[in-house]
Amino acid sequence: MTKTEVFTEHVDVLIAGSGAAGMRAAIAAHDAGAKVVLLAKGPRRANHTRMSGGRYNAVSGFNPADSTDAFFRDTVDSGVGINNYPLTRILADEAMDRAYDLESYGLAWDRTEIKKYYMSMTGGGTFVRTLGSIDEGIGITEVMLHQLHKRGIRICDFHMLADVVQDDSGRVTGGLALDLSKGAWRYFSAGAVVIATGGTSQLYETSSGPAINTGDGIAIALRAGAELVDIEFMQFIPISFVYPPSARGYTLIEPAHYGMRHFDPKAEPAHLLNTKGERFVLKHDPVRREGSTRDILARAIMLEILEGRGTPEGGVLMHPDPQVFDAFLKERPIYIKRLLENYGEGHARLQEPIQVTPSALYTLGGVRIDPWCRCNVPGLLVSGEAAGGVHGANRLGGSSMPDIQVFGRRAGIAAAEDAREYAGGGAAQLDKARARAAALEACMQRNDGVRPPDIKKRIQKLMWDHVGLVRSGAKLTETLAAFRSLREHVLPTVKVTNKSRVLNREWMEFLELENLLDIGEAMAASSLQRPETRGAHYRTDFPALDSNWTANLIVRRHAGQLQVEKKAVVTLEKAVPAREKIAGAIA
Amino acid sequence: MSKATLPRNTTRQAEGLQYGDVARTLHRFSGAAIIVFVLVHVIVQAVRQVPMFAALNAGAPWLQTMQEQNWIHAILFFCIAFHTLYGLKLLAGELGFTIRYQTAFWGIVGVSALFGLREVLRYAGI
Amino acid sequence: MPTDIKMRAEIRRYDPSVDAEPHYETFEVAGQDNWRVLDVIRSIYERQAGDLAYQFACRVGRCGTCAVKVNGVPVLACQERCKPEMKIEPLTPFPVLRDLVVDRSEIEARYEQHAYAPQRKTEYAGGPEPIDPLLAEDLCHKGSCLACMVCVSGCPAVEERAFDGPAFMLKLRHMAEHPADSGNRLEQAIDAGMLECFGCDLCTQLCPADLSPAQAIRDFRRDMIFGGSKKHE
Repeated sequence: MTKTEVFTEHVDVLIAGSGAAGMRAAIAAHDAGAKVVLLAKGPRRANHTRMSGGRYNAVSGFNPADSTDAFFRDTVDSGVGINNYPLTRILADEAMDRAYDLESYGLAWDRTEIKKYYMSMTGGGTFVRTLGSIDEGIGITEVMLHQLHKRGIRICDFHMLADVVQDDSGRVTGGLALDLSKGAWRYFSAGAVVIATGGTSQLYETSSGPAINTGDGIAIALRAGAELVDIEFMQFIPISFVYPPSARGYTLIEPAHYGMRHFDPKAEPAHLLNTKGERFVLKHDPVRREGSTRDILARAIMLEILEGRGTPEGGVLMHPDPQVFDAFLKERPIYIKRLLENYGEGHARLQEPIQVTPSALYTLGGVRIDPWCRCNVPGLLVSGEAAGGVHGANRLGGSSMPDIQVFGRRAGIAAAEDAREYAGGGAAQLDKARARAAALEACMQRNDGVRPPDIKKRIQKLMWDHVGLVRSGAKLTETLAAFRSLREHVLPTVKVTNKSRVLNREWMEFLELENLLDIGEAMAASSLQRPETRGAHYRTDFPALDSNWTANLIVRRHAGQLQVEKKAVVTLEKAVPAREKIAGAIA
Repeated sequence: MSKATLPRNTTRQAEGLQYGDVARTLHRFSGAAIIVFVLVHVIVQAVRQVPMFAALNAGAPWLQTMQEQNWIHAILFFCIAFHTLYGLKLLAGELGFTIRYQTAFWGIVGVSALFGLREVLRYAGI
Repeated sequence: MPTDIKMRAEIRRYDPSVDAEPHYETFEVAGQDNWRVLDVIRSIYERQAGDLAYQFACRVGRCGTCAVKVNGVPVLACQERCKPEMKIEPLTPFPVLRDLVVDRSEIEARYEQHAYAPQRKTEYAGGPEPIDPLLAEDLCHKGSCLACMVCVSGCPAVEERAFDGPAFMLKLRHMAEHPADSGNRLEQAIDAGMLECFGCDLCTQLCPADLSPAQAIRDFRRDMIFGGSKKHE
């Protein structure tokens, strides 16, 4: 049998993920002197940051009532106390500096005066602090791409990270990537690998993220021995488009933005009504009403739909306040455009009720990291949505943008440092890379079997129904058994329609299937171990908050088995000092 | 209620008239037509002076037939008007006067068509 | 309420590594009238042609990577509404990797060459840059260019002349208007073939982000004639 061809090259820092976390890491690592290669699973602009509304929480000083302490407190409150406090503190402290970095890259934050930023409110926060720019995530990703171009950082499009390779001590020595545009394997031996591959929204039937976010990086880290934290927490956006099919699940942000609460934390948000005309959210959060946090809203809507008070398309109705239209049009013209194109003119003018449904948005958990994005596997760093702990049990709207900038930069600095100190690597682990590549060719050899898209849909339905907004011990156990069966009996029978190596979507989906199953299992197993409802995690059999469970669940894979362990929350007093960066490191 | 203009609905791009394509093609065609006409006109007028081709002065039949077709004149005048007006629109744009391409297109085609129509009417004696 | 409809999609299939030349394959698809072309393509991949190569990611008109030609017109597949008869082809004039996916290497090389990061005369001082709020708005509008290449594909001047394309001119204008940029963007634009623009506004019509590269070019040409901004001196 011929050996699988694997092309090899050496870099200092290999980054997987072309969103803002990956790009910011690339900038920081490059500026620290490292030779960087960035892998993008598809064309480089295909990432979750691109789709974001670009709202950016930071303490700019323009609201004298606000402070980094308040931002920190809001994040921990929203996270229901299980955040990794040191990480949250860093987010609050460094967010504004990173916003200025973006300004220096050419992003023009919205202003009310030539040097005064425009700020808006976000659901769940206490003070008005959210910055934004009309070009949203598009603007952010474009200015960052041009910074990569400026530095001559190589970006490899259509390169999907398939796995990391480790030496016998467990130290990561590089990354194995599949060049999907050619069907060729590449092994990048590297001093450090940064995973910034985003979240797991594609695990769910209805999601807001891009097609490529199948949790690849998190699964790769898990397989490499990394610890996951809070993986049972998945944030669902309460309102999203209901149709057309391509737009279904795409976020419509929060009802707070569609009412006067957009400007004033005490004013009215848009109302949510079921088919009986009832404002059902008042049952769940009578104080903040539809201005509540995403977890409460999403759950409220999902329950209405499950209990039969939703529309035939599976949604509820949001009644916006037309008074907000002018401001909304000015700040978020792209959203108005989509409302016009998907729903109609009356809806775009916020004069008619808008049909909405919840959707999987953001992976709150992820790989457990320290303040410099290092995880327990040496040589492996993780930042952005793929990492866990910053936001706890529920994320504030507008906090993902600063997260990816703050921790993207930290990952880059730390990765450059790790690469400098690492003497091993090279072609030593090429055989391991080859073996893994050969295993991932399995589906290309089979002539009979099941197609990957069919299995993907099954997984997505199981996750949406049982490991989604509404969970129970019985269903979680059932789902774990179903996953086991899929893994043992169905995965080995996967085949592709055509053996062409060029842009073989089924082959890519085959690689994704293992990642989806790994994360799905981790989420279900971890959720089963948490007998309470907290933030985004809702168990019908344990609907109350349990203060004994102000703790994190750590998931690890050992000898093929998932281990779930309860650990105390990392508070500021208990924080173990992270490895400080070497003095003189720039960026 | 706010009367602010909504962003465009760009979900039917492949269905409508591709204005720029049509305008450019018309501009090119009309430019070619003008050149052909001017060439024919200049050559015929020059050649008429040469004694050998004196027959043209008497009005060669083919020339007569051509001059009787109202549509040739109509198209010709449409071409001259369209080419000129569209060219002026392009020039105006460069000097800072931006006009919506839809308005410009239909306005210019309309006015040019009037010039063409005028020829048809003139032939009909109106 | 959307209604059920039947559609026919003719898709250009071509694998340069095995096919001598491209061929068209026709598919009958049952769907609904509010579907987008992307929904049709995905339905074909899921039920009829598992080896179809196509590109998409965000499916809501933000990443710009799904651009194709439908009935001869460049559009975003995820935005363009489905039609009873559709001819779906890869975006011209880019080299085809397979079926509907094109090679964007030259596009990215052009982005890199044009250097769209602000070229500062003095270091960034920290804090908010002094930018007029209305100018900031305009900069952001230009900043929302998706780099989808629909305008470049539709541009008749790109087809016939040595012209980089409308999208690149728009980004040059973005930089020209940015107070922190001191590059001679007008000269760059002329070098990139800006003067070849026919002024036809097809790019303005086709742009899925409601931008007007043609207007950016007109602004540059006006500066060229009347002297315009002297930021770069």
